Amino acid sequence: MRPLGVFWLVVLVLPPLVALTLLAPFGQRMVTLVGIYALMGLGYQLIFGHLGALNLAQGALFGVGAYATALLAPSLGGLALPAALLAAAGLAALVGGPLLRLQSHYFALATLALASLVNLVAVHVEALTGGANGLASFTVGLPRGPVLLAVVWVCLIVLGSIAAALVRGRAGEQARLLRQAPLLAATLGIDGGRWRLAGFVAAGALAGLAGGFSAALSGVVSPEATGFSIMVLCLTSVVLGGTRHPMGALLGAALAVGLPELLRDFQGAWLLAYAVATLAVVLWAPDGLAGLVDRLRGATPSERTAPPWPTPRAANAGPRHLRVEQVIKRFGGVEALAGVSITLARGEIVGLIGPNGSGKTTLLNVISGLEHADHGRIALDERPITSLPAHAIAQSGVARTFQARLLEGETRHDELARALSTGPAFVLLDEPAAGATDRERDELVETLRGLRDAGLGLLVVDHDIELLSRLCDRLVCLERGRLLADGPPSDVRADPRVRASFLGLDAAA
Amino acid sequence: MAYALVALGFVLALNAAGAVNFAHGDLVVLGGSVAVAAGAWLGLPGVVLLPLVAAVLAVVGVIAARVAITPLAARPPEATFVATIALAAIIEQGLTVEMGTAPRTAPALAGSGAFALGGLAVGRQPIAIIVLGSLLVLAIWFLLERTQTGRRMRAVSADRHMARAVGIPVGRYVLLSLALAGALAGVAGLLLGHQFLVAPTQGAGYMLKAYIAVAMGGWGSVPGALLGALGIGVFETLVSAGFGDAWASAALYLSVLVVLAIRPQGLFGEPVGRRA
Repeated sequence: MRPLGVFWLVVLVLPPLVALTLLAPFGQRMVTLVGIYALMGLGYQLIFGHLGALNLAQGALFGVGAYATALLAPSLGGLALPAALLAAAGLAALVGGPLLRLQSHYFALATLALASLVNLVAVHVEALTGGANGLASFTVGLPRGPVLLAVVWVCLIVLGSIAAALVRGRAGEQARLLRQAPLLAATLGIDGGRWRLAGFVAAGALAGLAGGFSAALSGVVSPEATGFSIMVLCLTSVVLGGTRHPMGALLGAALAVGLPELLRDFQGAWLLAYAVATLAVVLWAPDGLAGLVDRLRGATPSERTAPPWPTPRAANAGPRHLRVEQVIKRFGGVEALAGVSITLARGEIVGLIGPNGSGKTTLLNVISGLEHADHGRIALDERPITSLPAHAIAQSGVARTFQARLLEGETRHDELARALSTGPAFVLLDEPAAGATDRERDELVETLRGLRDAGLGLLVVDHDIELLSRLCDRLVCLERGRLLADGPPSDVRADPRVRASFLGLDAAA
Repeated sequence: MAYALVALGFVLALNAAGAVNFAHGDLVVLGGSVAVAAGAWLGLPGVVLLPLVAAVLAVVGVIAARVAITPLAARPPEATFVATIALAAIIEQGLTVEMGTAPRTAPALAGSGAFALGGLAVGRQPIAIIVLGSLLVLAIWFLLERTQTGRRMRAVSADRHMARAVGIPVGRYVLLSLALAGALAGVAGLLLGHQFLVAPTQGAGYMLKAYIAVAMGGWGSVPGALLGALGIGVFETLVSAGFGDAWASAALYLSVLVVLAIRPQGLFGEPVGRRA
């Protein structure tokens, strides 16, 4: 990810300084508004940009913050602003649990329904919200004018820098994995649910804070603050500025505030122009304007240096045995696994063979928690992991690689390195040699032997029985979800049933 | 019944283009607006305007998809979401600039007023909506289930690579579905526009109802969408008769949240499986 360089730091610090020293109150007001929208957008980048969840409740949470400030300011004064943050974050945390389990379009719908509910409350619960007229004359005790401008921008600069630092670090990498390959992320021990909840709540908190500031700025709060137009403004400004660039929220907000002034003579036309610009950015500049600026001034993302090969965990730490006992997994009427039992110990390599559709990958999926067994038990030593979610199993020391499932610009090597980076005791490898050259195969055998000698237990699925015989201490053969043979490679290869079913040889030959 | 037309168009576009079209509600409003404008200009009754509006919106529907959906097919679904939301805003703002925010009335389908039916006063427009809506739904059903064209449309939406592999000109059928979706939006706009007036800001509301209907009825299922839309209509009518409009909407959104929390895959499940 791009670091927040000097160039952008200047862009970030200049507006409030210029506004405070040079601009008339009207100009200061505009700069304050830019800061407010940028704060809301900054939060939105976390959930939408980095975690890829289309949250349509951000505008409503902005409104919640505004109303909370208006209601609490008479009694709490300036403390109403942090209270607004807490109110929005609290609502997000309350509804976040069930909502975040939803797939993309259902999540969008659910957040949209939530936003519509908030809007209905704002319009109709007059006793609390003042109905369509809204609330006014609550600003005594709230920061206003130049003070408000300073507070807003200090918040923006501090939080923006924190967000930029987070995104550049390990957290940004994990978020990228979650967004691009959620299943892979789970098998690396990344708890997607917890991440999304954290992102959703953080986004809500920033929206609430922004809403509180906007209440202080305008001095009135009406149901419009919870309306869909704020949401659309937030979404479009983040997209326009750049959904993942640290400065995207600020650029988008500046346009959202600046365009209406530039196009003031055309009245409603500015929103039209804004929407057209957003569509154009989605189609032709997916990195947004901030990305475009970076490209124009020649700042490219810093070159990724190859990470060092992670050291496997010390041979004596962690569980000693991975046991699969009588596991059954059905898909509809088909038993993909019909009572399979195998044991994998540390310091051994077991090869898993069998014809297509015999249940090899399903077995790996069930062990790593991507699918859950209908019957039977899977345990690390005596600790059952049968019904744990994938990320928890990964954290207990079982890593895996996938069949031909490389992210952009990766090599076979990276995949294994990523699996090892979780510090596993056991690694499940799904066809690691598929498509590899002879030379690469030799390297792979060397690497895997090294891992075994370092004390890892490996379960390797592959079709290349020569390779597996060379590599493995034991071979296990599956056929139609049943265990056909389990033993030293030479024995298994000599087994007449294995020869008939898998090797395609006549049993008598 | 008019909701059913909105939802039907929504789900056709969804299946054809493989993406949620957030601008669908605004296409409905656009249909209403075209009806208003054409009605004022030509002075023709609703029945005559109907095919005209449908034709105009069919073209608009195709253009909309060409601009905001098909170019983004290879990108994550969020990209299409944003693009169609932007498109919705463009239509809404364009209409606002063109005709202002004040609601207008679209021409009635078969004259306004009411007539007595077994002692009950029945409005002409609601009857017209129900009759025309049912006819259209039947026609679509016949098209999809009983004709070669419909079979091909379904094949394309189920698996476009396979459809192409057996020699169906996929592009043409996607286009046909999108045109049909646009035309349905136009008709719905005309029908709703007389009863509930036409205002640029209504789009989001129509869109949300259609979205709910499709999500509840089973993502991508045509009969499910119809059932969902009828369910929403009945639900709203009943609750608003008892407690008022605001409560009806609130109860609807709340039940959507509850249903999604309990059954994340919608009430009737998802026929197409997870889109990973």
